[in-house]
Amino acid sequence: MLFTLAFASLVRHRARTALAVLGVAVSAAMLLDMVMLSSGMRESFRSLLLSQGFQLRIAPKGTLPFDTEATIRDADSLVALLRALPQVDRVSPVLGGQLHVPRASGAVTAAVLGLEPLVQGDYELVDGRHPMAPDELVANDAMLRAIGRRVGDTVTAAAGYDAQLRGLSGVRLLHVVGRVRFIYMAAEQRGSAIPLATLRAMQGPEASSRVSLAMVRLRPGANADAMRAVVERLVPRVTVVSTTDAIRQVDERLSYFRQLAVILGAVSLLVGFLLVTTLMTVSVNERIGEIAVMRAIGVRRERIVAQIVVEAGAIMLVAAPLGLALGLVTARYLNSILARFPGLPERIDFFLFQPASAWTALGLLVLSGILSGIYPSWRSASLGIAPTLRREAVG
Amino acid sequence: MAASPDAAGDTVVIGAIVRRRADPAEVARGEYRVRLHLSQLQSLLGYGDRVDRYAIATRAPAATADAIARINDAAFGFRAHRSADIAVETSTTFAVVSRFHRAIGVITVVASAIFLLCIMLLKVEERRRDVAALRLMGISARTVVRSVVLEAAAIAVLGSIAGVGVGALASAIVNVHYQGVYRTPLKFSIVTGDIVVLAVTLSLVLGIVAGWLAARRLVRTPPLALFGR
Repeated sequence: MLFTLAFASLVRHRARTALAVLGVAVSAAMLLDMVMLSSGMRESFRSLLLSQGFQLRIAPKGTLPFDTEATIRDADSLVALLRALPQVDRVSPVLGGQLHVPRASGAVTAAVLGLEPLVQGDYELVDGRHPMAPDELVANDAMLRAIGRRVGDTVTAAAGYDAQLRGLSGVRLLHVVGRVRFIYMAAEQRGSAIPLATLRAMQGPEASSRVSLAMVRLRPGANADAMRAVVERLVPRVTVVSTTDAIRQVDERLSYFRQLAVILGAVSLLVGFLLVTTLMTVSVNERIGEIAVMRAIGVRRERIVAQIVVEAGAIMLVAAPLGLALGLVTARYLNSILARFPGLPERIDFFLFQPASAWTALGLLVLSGILSGIYPSWRSASLGIAPTLRREAVG
Repeated sequence: MAASPDAAGDTVVIGAIVRRRADPAEVARGEYRVRLHLSQLQSLLGYGDRVDRYAIATRAPAATADAIARINDAAFGFRAHRSADIAVETSTTFAVVSRFHRAIGVITVVASAIFLLCIMLLKVEERRRDVAALRLMGISARTVVRSVVLEAAAIAVLGSIAGVGVGALASAIVNVHYQGVYRTPLKFSIVTGDIVVLAVTLSLVLGIVAGWLAARRLVRTPPLALFGR
């Protein structure tokens, strides 16, 4: 009976109900997007950092990984020290630099990583094999496109320019043995990787025994934060960044989007709440006589309140799935806009769908729907029966 | 002061401790920064006579293109760029944020439009009895529709004025907050004339359309039915 009356009341004003459902659906879409935005960046970044299982990043003192051109000297002894620690499962030393490939139209410049292929965590192999020999190279699609090469080709590349001799320095003939996808590089950034020893040799004596970064994977059960403190105590000339630290840094840099998400999410919820409250207030005012009659024939006040709350909740429940579907579509579109941020790793998503986000949005909507129905229904059910009936009869 | 923490280094006399003015070219939190003489930093870093970049002032804007061409002809291992081109390149972040805001703005406008439409419809439907009385008194349907539309337009205009006021206040709060967070005099939110015109026009059009639709529906319903008889 309760649901039948609520349904009849909603159907009586189809246009009004449809508009309310549409309004709440758009608010719900915005709310879901903002809930996804507020937690998506952090989760996406965390999964990116942990995708290869490395929990610690070791960078030159006072810097973040690849934030500057600074390098760590005596890195081989550092790596040996780390590998000797019982909690450490794997250490991947990485040296960064630039690779210049001479072309008829001018040199193509790309980022190059010198690494140990067997323990690396910077790229995923798409085609071919890892660069195991000193003269082997793997590159991403952007790089291969720019230099017009494929897996199996050879390429002449240099690590720098010698301004005195007006020539390239550290020139090598390298074989392209693999096509890769770099995990931390931006979508269109040209990138390549060669063995660490090769890049050091190409960069000259200054680079011998240096690395830009060392990534550390711990054994299961090891505490990353405790290990961070241990490594910083053992090697004071480096900064150790744990996944937690890195996420905090990203949080600070992108706090604007989190705040925007909170503000717009709150506004969306408020708009949905106001819309349903207004609708229910008008609807209840129209039915004051009807409610007075129900009260006069013995229907309890709580039952009348429950009927109106059910109407508000029904609008929210019908609108929520529509809004959630609309929210997923708009989130995809908004994510495609923010993915164009310069230097942003390809895999970072600002809007990450998590079931918890959808449940949070749905829960907030249903709660606001219930709240929006309580006040108008309680007010109307509390009016005096006789004066209301008289007013309705006299007009 | 040395290039590595555990090595003996030079003695540096701190000449001044300065508080940087907020820079319109930077949107960043307050960071520690040290300024050194170029030669001292080169020596400290073992950079030799290398520099990361240098800036050139040309005598006249017309000379810039020629200077860039001549430098790039002679250059090896570096390249000259026009400052304006670098500004465009480095403002990509702003362009992305701007596109994102525009998309959010469109969604907000759609939500507001539906909200406004719904409110206007409810507002007019509240007038059922008044409309019924007017019709029974012999007032023509056209006059009733006009009066309802006029009322809807007045409500839309008043609402728009209040909305512009709230928007301006919110914009001021946003600017104060983010200028403090990012230490910049850049304005994050500006209420321009175009935006005000768009908001007022949109609410006026929606208000009139909603009022007209609802009024038309009301005058087509028999007056006694509107009275609930």
